Amino acid sequence: MSAHLLRTLSGSFLIILCLGNSPASGQAAAPKIPRMAGGKPDFNGIWESLSTANWDLQDHSAYAGPMWEMGAIAAVPAGQGIVEGGSIPYLPAAAEKRKQNFANRRAADPEAKCYLPGIPRAAYLPYPFQIVQSNRDVLFIYQYATASRQVNMGKAREVGADSWMGMSNGHWDGDALVVDVTGLNGKAWLDRAGDFSSEGLHVVERYTLTDHDHVAYEATMEDPKVFARPWKIHLTLYRRVEKGFQLLEFKCIPFAEELLYGEFRKQTAK
Amino acid sequence: MNYRYRLIVLAVFAATAMVVSAQPVAKTVTASKAWKQPMTPWGDPDLQGVWPSTSMLQTPMERDPKLGTRAVLNDEEVAQKAARDKQFHQLETGNPKGFVPLAAGWFDYGKANRQASLVVDPPDGRIPALTAEAQAREAARKKHWNEKKDSPDTWLDLTTWDRCITLGPVGSVMPFAYNNGQQIVQGPGYVVFRNEMIHEARVIPLDGGPHASPAIRSWMGDSHGHWEGSTLVVDTTNFNGQIFIGSQGGGFGDSGAVATDQLHLVERFTRIADDTINYEVTINDPNTWTKPWTIALPLRREADYDYIYEYACHEGNIFMHDALAGARADEKKAAEAAAQKGAN
Repeated sequence: MSAHLLRTLSGSFLIILCLGNSPASGQAAAPKIPRMAGGKPDFNGIWESLSTANWDLQDHSAYAGPMWEMGAIAAVPAGQGIVEGGSIPYLPAAAEKRKQNFANRRAADPEAKCYLPGIPRAAYLPYPFQIVQSNRDVLFIYQYATASRQVNMGKAREVGADSWMGMSNGHWDGDALVVDVTGLNGKAWLDRAGDFSSEGLHVVERYTLTDHDHVAYEATMEDPKVFARPWKIHLTLYRRVEKGFQLLEFKCIPFAEELLYGEFRKQTAK
Repeated sequence: MNYRYRLIVLAVFAATAMVVSAQPVAKTVTASKAWKQPMTPWGDPDLQGVWPSTSMLQTPMERDPKLGTRAVLNDEEVAQKAARDKQFHQLETGNPKGFVPLAAGWFDYGKANRQASLVVDPPDGRIPALTAEAQAREAARKKHWNEKKDSPDTWLDLTTWDRCITLGPVGSVMPFAYNNGQQIVQGPGYVVFRNEMIHEARVIPLDGGPHASPAIRSWMGDSHGHWEGSTLVVDTTNFNGQIFIGSQGGGFGDSGAVATDQLHLVERFTRIADDTINYEVTINDPNTWTKPWTIALPLRREADYDYIYEYACHEGNIFMHDALAGARADEKKAAEAAAQKGAN
């Protein structure tokens, strides 16, 4: 911490901040956020959402889970949605598809199959992820399924082929890290309730440090095949501050194989 | 992405390896005096970039025993390898008899080079003998594999590669016919080693340890790193006892074995030029090998190989469905044929 402070002190920005903090200024102090040596906000750390978004992006009462065998463990707790304006503006056919997805979610949710989470879902999975921000690009490493993605901060890269995690090109808008995500294959769901998009999905994410340990996360989804208009989600990412906290491994394929291939298992003699 | 295809590729590699015969002395390539190690703004040696292992694709895991302790090939041997390269390239165009074109434009080939084996220690370039316990374990594993590979009862009869889980921290780096991308990204206090093969991303805290609780085991292990001069040293333990190490291409071949959870890896990353990192890994599992052994290879920048594209192996694992469904269909057909025969 002290070494880090010393490093940041060399940047003029913090010095200005310190001046701003002096009682003589008589103004409310701007929140102190960590910064890289060059003065850019420093997102390095392990982060996690505490929302119920991965169960259901929209406002919802508590409801039964898809597996009664799991009892209350598989039930969905009530949650306040993170969708701006309350609901996702589905086109009529898409709203129908969402209902089908919900009915089939036990086996149809790509999360159940341990498939890559896509964007924006990766941001609010109920597992931590780590940001490693270098002087060049920014790397996101998610605990779930060993997913990761590079956010290109230099020249924007063109999409080669559609993929689960897409192509992420980032830039700074003041202190906000803005990530433009295209090339998504649209196979990932947006939550466990069957919310979805098509391969035409375009996501713009905005990460803003509000203080040392919190990031305001915002994402705008645009997909004219599925949504009547672009829509937005907002959530908070919390820094995992526990001493010695590490990003551990969750390779979930072995836990999904019975679900995926169980019907082709050799039946042993009765 | 299935073992049959993999065996074809391995057979070609084996043929390539067998051409090699005896001569000269080993030279380790080190940084030239003129080259200066770039540093990150926060003062660590800068190892960032994409450093594929492709160039070493033509070097076998184990050395031809005829070479003895000679680690470096001579001109004639390299020329022979280059001639074989040509033949290998024809895999793609489908010219050689017995081969059909496989995924044209998709394969990596590497280059004929002087390193006689990826194993550099012991000095004979051969993986040390298995312990008695490991010999029995490996014999049982191979017997099971040979019995089940063409007609698996379950996914568990196939490899962790077939299942798209992982090749482990060593196998993910080993040169293979595709997905050789290796990327290093650094932030203050952390290095990430990202492998294209089955999309790995090991986050390595530069705190020198301690390791996670022994109750926490994993496929890629628990890695902690530190700097020794400009060399990044990474110490990894806490394995789950299911990682295969030591076959050509990182696969599940004749050399190598599944390591136990006592596996301990020490990796060393030393940048010696703008375009080269020397990678070295020492493998120690007293339950499996009678002594520690070391693999070393240069990881080299390649033009246009500066980004790791997603390898969604599991998501597209049609092979697993087909292998299992096919085995069940074969059984059904055989049972029907037997019933028919009985009825006649």
